Amino acid sequence: MDDLRNIAIPTDPEEALAAVVALRRLADRIERAAVRSALRQGWSWSRIALALGVTKQAAHKRLSDVAADDGSA
Amino acid sequence: MFKRIRAKLDDMSTIKRLCERAEAHALQDQQREPGAEHFLLAALDLPDGTARLAFERAGAEPDALKGAIERQYGDALQSIGLTGNAPDEMPLSANPGAYQAAPSGQAIMQELAQTRRDHAPLLGAHVVSIVAGLPQGVAPRALRALGVDPAILKSSADAIVGTSVR
Repeated sequence: MDDLRNIAIPTDPEEALAAVVALRRLADRIERAAVRSALRQGWSWSRIALALGVTKQAAHKRLSDVAADDGSA
Repeated sequence: MFKRIRAKLDDMSTIKRLCERAEAHALQDQQREPGAEHFLLAALDLPDGTARLAFERAGAEPDALKGAIERQYGDALQSIGLTGNAPDEMPLSANPGAYQAAPSGQAIMQELAQTRRDHAPLLGAHVVSIVAGLPQGVAPRALRALGVDPAILKSSADAIVGTSVR
């Protein structure tokens, strides 16, 4: 497990910004995996949206194909 | 006159194929909006073969580009001290409605459109030339991860474009 206190922001802006892009992409993947897991455990879209801090409509619009994969859309 | 109309139709067909392949590569990469790197992968799929030729003449293996794109994400995370594997890829569906590219993908399409008069006909090498000229972003980082100098790749693509005749 990485200790987040060990994260060192590169002084080279190109490296630092590339890390931001990679982190966003990683976050997107984690989000989709987590939503699929939540749906499989019976979570409602309202509950998922609340946990993500977005509206139900926003969550559904962005992630509804995760539900389709799962057959629970 | 007929030749010019035919050439325009051929270009439109190439652009359609380029956009469709870029979107397919983006979805495989878990992104709905294709970026410059996805247009580069799409150029390698074009049947004219000039994008692949540009890579080969620059000493790069075209089929290794996808791996290099993934590798540069890992390298970027490693640069801040993060290691480990991302969650498994999950199928992603296309955006409903109008075609939408990411900003870097839009920049490629805009430059292609601006230089249309120079394009005779539109080739994969044109796309390679534009993408290889980008100063920042995933695409130039992936090219460096592939071990190819973007300037050499651009020169290689431009030379191929220069020898193409309508």
